[in-house]
Amino acid sequence: MKQEPKIGVYICRCGCDVEGNISATVDVEKVKESAASINGVKIAEVYEYVCSNPGQQMIRDGIKEHGLNRIVVAACSPRMHLETFKRNVKQEGLNPYLLEIANIREQCSWIHDDKKLATFKAIDLVGRAVERARILKPLEEKAVKVNRDALVIGGGIAGINASVELADKGYQVYLVEKGPSIGGHMAQLGKTFPTLDCSSCILTPKMVYVAQHPLIKIISLSEVTKVEGAPGNFKITIRKHPRCVDASKCTACGECAKKCPVTVKNEFEVGLDQRKAIYQPFRQAVPSAYSIDKEHCLYFTKGVCKVCQKFCKANSIDFTQQEETLELNVGAIVVSTGYEILDPMGVKQYSYGLHPDIVTHLQFERLLVQGLHKPSNGEQPKKIAFILCVGSRMVENVNENDYCEYCCNIGCMNAIKEAYVFQKEVPDAEPWVFYTDIRAHGKGYEEFYARLRNHGVRFVRGRAAEVMPHNGHLRVRAADTLLGMPIEEDFDMVVLSSGLVPSSGTENLARMVGIHTGSDGFILERHHKLRPVDTQREGIYACGCALGPKDIRETITESMAVASQVATFLGKGEVSVTPEVAVIDEEKCNGCEECLKICPARAVEKVPSTFRTRMEINPMSCTGCGICVPVCLKDAIDLNHCTEDQLMAQIRGVEVKDDVSPKIVAFIEKNTAYASADLAGQTRAHYGTNIRIISVPSTGRVGFKHLLQAFAHGADGVMFVEGEDSVFTGERLREHVARLKKDLQACGIESLRLVSTTITIPQYPKMVDTFEVFTNRVSKIGPLSSKVRSEIEKKLKKGESK
Amino acid sequence: MKYAYFPGCSIHTTAQEYGISCNAVSRVLGIELIEIPEWNCCGAMDAVYAYNPLLSISLSARNLALAESMKMDVVTLCSACFFTLSRANKLLHEDSELKGKVDKLLNDAGLQYTGEVKIRHYLDVLLNDVGLENISKNVKVKLDGLKVAPYYGCMLIRPPNIVNFDDPEHPHSLDKIIEAIGGKNVDYIYKTRCCGASLGFTEGEVMMEMTSDLLLEAKNVEADCIAVPCPLCHFNMDAKQRSIESTFDVKIDMPIVFFTQLMGVAFGINPKELALNKNCVSTDKLFKRFHA
Amino acid sequence: MKRNHVHVITSQMMDKSFLADVMKMRGGKNVLDCIQCGICAGSCPAAWAMDFTPMQIVRMIHLGMKDTVLSSSTIWICASCYTCTTRCPRGIDIPLLMSALKTTAIREKIPARIEIKPKFHKSFADIVQKYGRIHEPELFLKITNKTDVRALMQNAALGWTLLRKGKLKLKAPKVNQKVQWSSLFANVAKEESK
Repeated sequence: MKQEPKIGVYICRCGCDVEGNISATVDVEKVKESAASINGVKIAEVYEYVCSNPGQQMIRDGIKEHGLNRIVVAACSPRMHLETFKRNVKQEGLNPYLLEIANIREQCSWIHDDKKLATFKAIDLVGRAVERARILKPLEEKAVKVNRDALVIGGGIAGINASVELADKGYQVYLVEKGPSIGGHMAQLGKTFPTLDCSSCILTPKMVYVAQHPLIKIISLSEVTKVEGAPGNFKITIRKHPRCVDASKCTACGECAKKCPVTVKNEFEVGLDQRKAIYQPFRQAVPSAYSIDKEHCLYFTKGVCKVCQKFCKANSIDFTQQEETLELNVGAIVVSTGYEILDPMGVKQYSYGLHPDIVTHLQFERLLVQGLHKPSNGEQPKKIAFILCVGSRMVENVNENDYCEYCCNIGCMNAIKEAYVFQKEVPDAEPWVFYTDIRAHGKGYEEFYARLRNHGVRFVRGRAAEVMPHNGHLRVRAADTLLGMPIEEDFDMVVLSSGLVPSSGTENLARMVGIHTGSDGFILERHHKLRPVDTQREGIYACGCALGPKDIRETITESMAVASQVATFLGKGEVSVTPEVAVIDEEKCNGCEECLKICPARAVEKVPSTFRTRMEINPMSCTGCGICVPVCLKDAIDLNHCTEDQLMAQIRGVEVKDDVSPKIVAFIEKNTAYASADLAGQTRAHYGTNIRIISVPSTGRVGFKHLLQAFAHGADGVMFVEGEDSVFTGERLREHVARLKKDLQACGIESLRLVSTTITIPQYPKMVDTFEVFTNRVSKIGPLSSKVRSEIEKKLKKGESK
Repeated sequence: MKYAYFPGCSIHTTAQEYGISCNAVSRVLGIELIEIPEWNCCGAMDAVYAYNPLLSISLSARNLALAESMKMDVVTLCSACFFTLSRANKLLHEDSELKGKVDKLLNDAGLQYTGEVKIRHYLDVLLNDVGLENISKNVKVKLDGLKVAPYYGCMLIRPPNIVNFDDPEHPHSLDKIIEAIGGKNVDYIYKTRCCGASLGFTEGEVMMEMTSDLLLEAKNVEADCIAVPCPLCHFNMDAKQRSIESTFDVKIDMPIVFFTQLMGVAFGINPKELALNKNCVSTDKLFKRFHA
Repeated sequence: MKRNHVHVITSQMMDKSFLADVMKMRGGKNVLDCIQCGICAGSCPAAWAMDFTPMQIVRMIHLGMKDTVLSSSTIWICASCYTCTTRCPRGIDIPLLMSALKTTAIREKIPARIEIKPKFHKSFADIVQKYGRIHEPELFLKITNKTDVRALMQNAALGWTLLRKGKLKLKAPKVNQKVQWSSLFANVAKEESK
């Protein structure tokens, strides 16, 4: 039953009389008059503070007394009081999605000085709001049950601690680890800075806790191969490689390894030592069971041997173990895949690989743990050069090798710590540190550095130029830049503080999971400051070095943050899904998949049906950006609460007798860009009243027919302003605008009448500038002729707008 | 195997032994070097470039234009020419404004360069076109443990985005050639350290100090000789050796040979055809034992 | 230790337009990327002879210390060995930059503080322009300091050795194609004067 819209318009003075924040510049009485004259508006009122209790009461009274079923509030930015107003109308039994707010403060009265022009603009904005309100539809938020289990990918300290935190909060955690044991790189470290705790001493209790926790299931020697479903209800497929040892029987006695005839480079010892084909990565491994390296085991490569099985007293060796596929259902995913060391072979001047006594900082850790000795001859080194920034802080270089643009964060402190431990272990030790800048940013770091300077660690400010093996020594050349002189010295060993890069496979995993990596290859967080452990997808989080190199303290902090985020998401057992999502009309859909290709949130799913495949949008995954709407060639998609009809109506607006020219309609992305526009108002910036802002979920929502609508109904120019952090930015936005410009040109409208820009919240001066520059440009081109306007209108009516 | 041969100015003057021995070796290996007719100075790296960059690049461009019409890879013996021509080629590819200017200059002189010339050093040809096996096949004289310090210098190997021939920090091309002909490479840490190049003309003492480091280190590791691939390095180390000895009051007496001379000896070529008598520091006692 | 005649740096010494000019020079485009790590200074085989290391020259360019940079010995002692650029983490082409600074110093007629022979470059270019190739005897004559008796004697001895071995050609080289040649150089001169 079609209900006749009965619209109530409530205009706020935002203060008293003509001194209110709004009423000082906007003649609210005129706005009221104009609103009241619009067809369908049953009542128009003005009040001092519409957001106040009496103001709210006024609205409720209006609904009760006049049977209002649409409310328009002309006041401050919806970012201030939208929820308040929604709750208010709900109280009176009106669906909260039948409410529309016109921003006549931050985007009108606070921007303009000229009362006459500002009032015309306010009338226009209110008119558009009314036209939109007329077609608003009631919507309901849905509650979707979520699975309360969590998946943690990566068993280093980040994943371990996240699992501990989550399990302690009562969540079932599946901890997937690629290798045979959890522990990650932290298990390889000796002492940690700046407190000099033994790394294993603080790690192993956590590993044991994880192993014994009833709510944590460790899935080792495994990889995630597929992620399907939606946030709150993910379906995970895992490939589990065979250990070839029954973990429930293995006692880790080590007899098998003693007898195994195959030796292989030991990854845990970073190549400094060997292990057997049947091995345990390190003594405190969890799971502690041994595992067989199928690539090198004689049985698997040549069909012989099996000596380990002969000597295994627990009868735990099982050569028949097969690869398994596991399927899990979880509600949230945590990515904690950690880092790797940049191979310093690419930084050729340091001669890594040409002499066994030139090692990486990780190899040096192992040497410190085993009892420091030179790999070449087992003797104790007396003089060691620590070279920092190997492969790091590079922007460009003429060799075509891998490098890191970013600082590794831990190189300086790690070298200082290693120098200290070296001094403690070797009498008359002489550590030298060749640095570019000493970064001692964390708690206790500067004090540690200062202490070490007093201990006789020699610091040379200059990035080492070369390491040359010479006559049994390692000659290091550098410039002491503080003196401006070259310095050359022979050392027993050289330790290279190599850059840290994302774990191999991070890129692939990110793609599989549907999240993004940054230009540095690490997982990209949702927001640099406000959402540092969230990813672009709901329900998927990241922590630790997977996000970027960092020390243990920061890793632990992030793992706790992630646990908190997961708990917030899954805690109530259900999540409410906003109804402001895109919906596909299954009758119109022809399964062309254009929407699937363009959706940034993986929300489009293929649904095989009787006659053909069609697309469906999962409301749990949809972020409501609306980019899919204009790409659908069958017009089968619409976006709730920003439907085609609603948008077209808002663009059409009402007729306003203002002489303002040129009129610019600015489509502004409703989060970042809108916040920036509000900030312009808050800081009382100035721009012309010819700018009429329409908020859209994303400028990707705006298609050609909307542009035509704008031009047909008074616009001389159209602007897109998109948030720089939005999903529709960069290349995508440029392509979209380029195509629209071409279409405009083909219709006889100058392509210069469309412009786009991206913005961050504090960049509102850029927005203001762009408004001004664009206004000037459109002025030069001149207003659109009424002839063209009527042609466009005819086109629209005919439906020739694709 | 035919190549457009760019000798460079010093091949006909101060580094004659390089050109002569190279011809002899090329004959044995079946390499045909066809001298680019009326070639001019390569552009002389920094010597001309610092005074007039456009002149330097135009000089290079004229050579490239002449070579292009021969439709063969350009091969040069001199590392500095190798670098200068390669750098000019790269700049012409990257800077369209520059290319426009130079094109106009060339066109007015009746020439054109479309950018299709590949510039290579003779060592590259030996390693990649002839191959070590073929080189070894031609060895007739056992060098019998002759200790050679392989010296690369700068322009042959740096920077890798312009010359892209061998590893800029740990090159091995010359080492491999020396091994292929039966010589023994010593562990020479200064194999890529600069000799001072054209500083020999402007700041003689600086060059001599730099070159003396190279010579003394070769002596230290008991090399019998230093093998070089560049006329300017050869000049600084060979022709200037006596001056270095007197200036720093040291005795060096280290023969400096072009690697082609070494190859020639191993191939059993007549010493006259290798111009072994043209090296300033005598090579007599070095090679007397190998002469048939 | 290095001679350093700059006692205190003041803003009078800082010429912002110099930095802008350098950034337009070939090799100077990314000079502001330098983080002063010192790998160039550590790699340079001739740094010991320079009054300022390459890193310090770049620093002075950042500060706009035009006079100090253009009158330094550094730019003349750089041998373009490229060890620095091969290792520079910002990919700065230092030898090319040094060449450009040399060109600027020559054009602006700034004398080097230490006696260097910038006329070496001019002489070389003039001779090549004349004959198409270098003619060593003429070059030696032009650049030898005729008052340095010791150097003169050493060079004479060397010259005699080379002459004996036939490695010094007294006759100048000749590149034919006079037409091509003269038009090429006339045009370069024209282009330069623009």
